[in-house]
Amino acid sequence: MIEALYKIIEMILFPGFAFIGVLSLLYEWIDRKFYARLQNRIGPLYAGPHGILQPLADFIKLLSKEDIIPEGADKFLFTLTPILFFAINLLLTLFLPICGTTGVISFTGDLIFFVALLTIISILVYTAGMASTNRFATIGAERAVLQLIGYEIPFMLSIVSVAISSRSLTIKNIVESQSSIWHILGPNFLAFIIFAITAQAELERIPFDIPEAEQEIVAGWLVEYSGKKLALFRLGKDVETLLLCGLGATLFLGGPLGPVVPGLEIVFYTLYFIIKSIIVLLVLTTLRALFARLRVDQMLVLSWKYLIPLSLISVLIVRVVF
Amino acid sequence: MSFYIPIGPQHPVHPEPLLMKFKVEGEQVIDVEINVSYTHRGIEKGFEYRDYMKGIFLAERICGICNAAHTLCYTQNIEQLLGKEIPPRAKYLRLIVEELSRIHSHLLWLGLAAHQIGFETLFMYVWRDREKVLDLLETITGNRVVTAYNTIGGVRRDITPEIEQKIRKSLDYLEERTKYFKKVVMEEPTVLVRTQNVGILKPREAIELFAVGPVLRASGIKHDIRADDPYIAHDEVPFNVVTYDTCDVYARILVRVDEILECINMVRYSLDHLPSGEYRIRMPVIVRPPPGESVSRVEAPRGELLHYVRSDGSDKPYRYKVRTPTLANIPSTARMLTSRGDYIVYIADIPIIFGSIDPCLCCTGRVMFIDIEKSKSWVWTYNELVRYSLKRFERHD
Repeated sequence: MIEALYKIIEMILFPGFAFIGVLSLLYEWIDRKFYARLQNRIGPLYAGPHGILQPLADFIKLLSKEDIIPEGADKFLFTLTPILFFAINLLLTLFLPICGTTGVISFTGDLIFFVALLTIISILVYTAGMASTNRFATIGAERAVLQLIGYEIPFMLSIVSVAISSRSLTIKNIVESQSSIWHILGPNFLAFIIFAITAQAELERIPFDIPEAEQEIVAGWLVEYSGKKLALFRLGKDVETLLLCGLGATLFLGGPLGPVVPGLEIVFYTLYFIIKSIIVLLVLTTLRALFARLRVDQMLVLSWKYLIPLSLISVLIVRVVF
Repeated sequence: MSFYIPIGPQHPVHPEPLLMKFKVEGEQVIDVEINVSYTHRGIEKGFEYRDYMKGIFLAERICGICNAAHTLCYTQNIEQLLGKEIPPRAKYLRLIVEELSRIHSHLLWLGLAAHQIGFETLFMYVWRDREKVLDLLETITGNRVVTAYNTIGGVRRDITPEIEQKIRKSLDYLEERTKYFKKVVMEEPTVLVRTQNVGILKPREAIELFAVGPVLRASGIKHDIRADDPYIAHDEVPFNVVTYDTCDVYARILVRVDEILECINMVRYSLDHLPSGEYRIRMPVIVRPPPGESVSRVEAPRGELLHYVRSDGSDKPYRYKVRTPTLANIPSTARMLTSRGDYIVYIADIPIIFGSIDPCLCCTGRVMFIDIEKSKSWVWTYNELVRYSLKRFERHD
């Protein structure tokens, strides 16, 4: 009984939904602020100290906006997709080891489950675009799928090379195998680079924000969404950012592991997890500030000509070393 | 399967209204129809209701960015009608402000071009440095963008030695930054893949379709009104006409960036050789030029600008005609945006190709009726327009 109650608290409060929600809004703020500073701008400033509450303010503002469903849209899918998008992202965060070596949910081979659901998120993007039956949204959805063909394989391979070097497909074991040395410091460094680039594509950020491409197709697959649905997509996106940064930290930077004071493991583990995932976030944000947007055909060329061979080489190196 | 996508009249990258109807197949553009007539403001008619002095302010508002070129063109016309020659110092001062506003326009465009290919960081950097040249314009003329500097008979203000020092200092900064931007554009691989071999306009097509300005020069044709038909002090201030011959968007970026460097040198040279003396000749508030007509051409930042005026001896122009560079570049844009042979235009290239002519649509709107079946075209008079709008209003009531 007590155990079940404890599990529920873990899921809802810490390190579950409430904590994840706060953290993902914080990460959006860090991303926006750091991006702005890189561009010599000030960034969010007014809501809260240094604008730290700006993502929350944006979210609340969107909730209060009018929610429009276009006449030609598939109403069921149009309403369902934002909810699914948010829910799957939130579900996946439960796998992240935040305050210990295991997440809230953990089972043997959960890495496969995790990656499979990540792919479903990209497919939801396609559904969202197609359900709104807007021309720009249709093009955006097509681009999302094309892009998926490009980045999915190197993304998986970079995770595979980590899995090979820790000889396990369970997140818990991967974390524990890094207690002596982090994967990024070993032969998996190449895999980390590929992971960072493909995570950028997964998150649809410059140079791979092709499905959204504000300047070309207005907002791509998001164009018809407004109000609460858009708010859910935005929050889902933030959670996804946290998810991929956390995954990067878990797979390559040793997750929550580090020197701890006995008795205060939870605090230290959480702190290490946050610091490490913020480091990954800053890497991703820097990448976002460095490039122009690629065209979708160029993105595919980049992916199939360079990223996939590189990730195969990375897997090979790891296979030989371990 | 092909379908149409509309870019405009409202679109994130085009703050100005214009409709481009694209026939696309997947990501490829097959055909395009461009409609620029969303902002007909009746400016030419407006000139006929204002006296010559007030016309300056209207000319200034034809286009916000190239306002210096428009007032220059306007005042030159009126001075030609009056048969007056402005003092040499005024010529140099006009040149300084013209070239500074060209730097402003090109920097603004470079930022927008970066924005159009999704390079937000370069966009922010360029626009930050654009502030320097805006500060300079403010110091010289009193206004940041709409300078209100040229007037009939000269310019409104003189520059002092302190201002001159300030200009030189800012120019050094701008030169360094422009060289840095040039380096970024030439070395950043994502910029190169997005701009090279995109928006091709062959030299022959450029001439056939009457392209002007940087678009023409990027197609390798040496054409610049400042060199071919020098006005103000351009016959005394040396400069190079920048041309590139790759004929694509990349060449257009480089032409403009190099022109900024040329402009900086021109401003420096004119500061060194600034003649002393009066900076304007006083004119009466109401001028009455003798009957006659005059044409004046100026190389605006976007290309060749042409103003025509006809006077009937009264205090107002009888007819005023403006031909802006964007209007001249629209046919070439349509060519650039159409796939043909192994030259393929993607949807992703639309913003940067259209942006590469530095479009300014508020000065482009024209009203003309064309009946394709009878191949007949006609223009409405003011009264016909009023009658039509009244009828429309009744129908919608």
